[in-house]
Amino acid sequence: MSYLSTTNFLDDKSFADKWLYTMRTGELDLSWMNARTEKINPSPQNARRGLTYRDLDLGTYGFSDVPEKVRENRSYAPRGAEIPPGLPDAQPEVSRKSELWAFNTEGYYEEAVTRQWNATTDIPWERLEGAELPEAIGKALSQLMTFLTEVEMIATDTPAKWLPRLNPEFIEVRAFIASQAMDEARHAEVFRKRALTTGWGLMKASPMNEMALKHLRDADSFSEMSVALHLVAEGNVLTMFRFSEYLSPTDVDKKIFRLVMQDEARHVGYGMQHFKWVLENFPEKREILHKHLDEAENISFAAGAATELTESFIVLAGGGLKPENIEKGIRITTQFQLKQMEEHFERLDKCGMPERKGERSKLWMMYQMGKAAAEQAGLKI
Amino acid sequence: MAFYADKDYTQDQEVLNAMQEVMQGHLTLHWYDANTERIKGKPADYRRGLTYRDLDVGSYGYTDLPEDLRRHQSMVARGSEKWGKLPDMGYLVNRKSEVWSDNVADLYEEDKSRRWAPAVDVPWTGADAPSPEVEAACAQLYTFLQECALVSLDFPSRWVSLVNQEFLEVKSFMCAQMLDWARLLEAFRKRALMGGQGLKRASATAEQGLKEWLWAETYPQGSLSINLSLAGFLLAVFRQVAAFAPRKADRALMGFAMQDAGRQVAYGLGALRYLLSHRPAQKVAIEEYLDQTEHVMVALFGSPELLEPMIVICGGGLESAQIGAGRIATAKFIRLVVREYMERLEAAGLSGRRTRSRIPAVVDRIATS
Repeated sequence: MSYLSTTNFLDDKSFADKWLYTMRTGELDLSWMNARTEKINPSPQNARRGLTYRDLDLGTYGFSDVPEKVRENRSYAPRGAEIPPGLPDAQPEVSRKSELWAFNTEGYYEEAVTRQWNATTDIPWERLEGAELPEAIGKALSQLMTFLTEVEMIATDTPAKWLPRLNPEFIEVRAFIASQAMDEARHAEVFRKRALTTGWGLMKASPMNEMALKHLRDADSFSEMSVALHLVAEGNVLTMFRFSEYLSPTDVDKKIFRLVMQDEARHVGYGMQHFKWVLENFPEKREILHKHLDEAENISFAAGAATELTESFIVLAGGGLKPENIEKGIRITTQFQLKQMEEHFERLDKCGMPERKGERSKLWMMYQMGKAAAEQAGLKI
Repeated sequence: MAFYADKDYTQDQEVLNAMQEVMQGHLTLHWYDANTERIKGKPADYRRGLTYRDLDVGSYGYTDLPEDLRRHQSMVARGSEKWGKLPDMGYLVNRKSEVWSDNVADLYEEDKSRRWAPAVDVPWTGADAPSPEVEAACAQLYTFLQECALVSLDFPSRWVSLVNQEFLEVKSFMCAQMLDWARLLEAFRKRALMGGQGLKRASATAEQGLKEWLWAETYPQGSLSINLSLAGFLLAVFRQVAAFAPRKADRALMGFAMQDAGRQVAYGLGALRYLLSHRPAQKVAIEEYLDQTEHVMVALFGSPELLEPMIVICGGGLESAQIGAGRIATAKFIRLVVREYMERLEAAGLSGRRTRSRIPAVVDRIATS
């Protein structure tokens, strides 16, 4: 299944002869000097921000004017370059802007590049020296970290799988996906490292979550993948990180969650903007997006249903295993889970899909039931 | 082709009952005494921080990973306890010798510590603009480099989801590579456009060759082509441009590019060495692969979209004497590329490649006055 170029350049006598002639005589063709391309003079709009992709959003080089259907370029030629005959087909599977575009994609990428932190040195691991957590807290923390490190690599594998299938014209989206891959690898790393510093090691896998998350990896389209991953799954995880910061037993853990939250917010931002873009520009896709959400919300519910995750939250939130700890932990975890669902529907509402708060969504119905039960029990949501 | 979870969890009574039990205070705690190794990892050197190497311990480490992974097809984190019904993630690269390099964990750590941001770390403004001809050559060269960057970005992206999750350090390095090339693509694009000449022409010959390398049938073949051959070639290009660079922006940019490409070459060489040392029978297949695909090297340095701008940049212009100087410098560059390429292959365990390869004979025909 490999590709063979149109010629074997070692056997192509005319190619080799021309090359050698150029080297021997210095007679240059120089036709590239007069390439039929646009001349622009970009400059940083803000000197402190440097030269950004937004500064290059000019003419044929910019992203704003990329058409809905990319018809002319299917090669590795960078956007705006002269396209000579003979370029290979990169076989992109996504050549429609509406399948992947989001307002501010270039901004998310630039922010990602400047906000890369290092799980090795930016976390104060030395502060854990001599710090011992009570057994229940330590194990619950390890279990939470085990779950988080387990699922982070799906968030790398999934968008990375799509990256080479996107038309190379969508440079900024590809760049953002690459930055996300690195973000998620870093998250998998930091959670693994934290689990292995607790004294308990890693704990148990989460089969229910794995089963649900495989859907992300095998989505039928980039858009479906983005709805499921960026908007739904990462939206839930963003709330989870905030909750985890609140539950964190040490300041080291708080720092970990603050740093991963800033990365996650970018991913969710992209997901929301993409969702919004599709709804605003292609209203006929609304029902398709509803169908994507029908399955994506199933994934979302699985996270709450996985006992190894929920119970670890309960123990951390309640501070232990005594009945009074468990009771407190359940109250707090219930509030978190309901908040997580509430924020999910708020995001959809903000993106232009308020009707998701209705009978169409089984998750909404579960949320309503849960909220009613919580309020009856005197919980403030 | 979509996968659907084996249950609709919102409707599954067993799931709902289990949730209800927990939320009524009847915790299962089935995870509490997980059957895993207990360790308390810590940095060997606190100044260096907590590295993957510090956690290369017992069942969590990478040193003791077996060659064949036969029972690990899920996302389960290495060393954690597997239980229940886990999905098959469809990994196709399950042999350590196909991906491993003994330096990969360290290279990942280095990559993170050497992050840079093109927007602010390259001095984009400055009154050191070269002549219009040299600037046009720069625009052409950086157009060519963007093509190489797009292909280099695609390679780890194509494979990372197919590599077994147990090879966490390799996958992490591949993610770092993706960001490296996205960043270099960004920097090359910005540099090409900042000079006011616009982009120039894409290279059909280079792209045909690059696609052949990118679409290699196996990861080891692709890694040899992209991580060793292409990255090695680009490392030499970056070094050359840094030496002859007309602008401060070029020197700064190429400094960063060299460090990124250098890491990639280190991994590519290490991966090939590991493969050949653990599976020496693969030498035959690798030699045949190189026989088939080495011609792409000629496509790269023979592409007029690289060759001519290189001559102009190295010579400093289009005057006859400048072209002459540019030819000499470029000829030296090409010979260096080939020499380093052969040295790396030899270091990896492919002794005798120099006599088997057809490239040295072609390059030896370059004659400059």
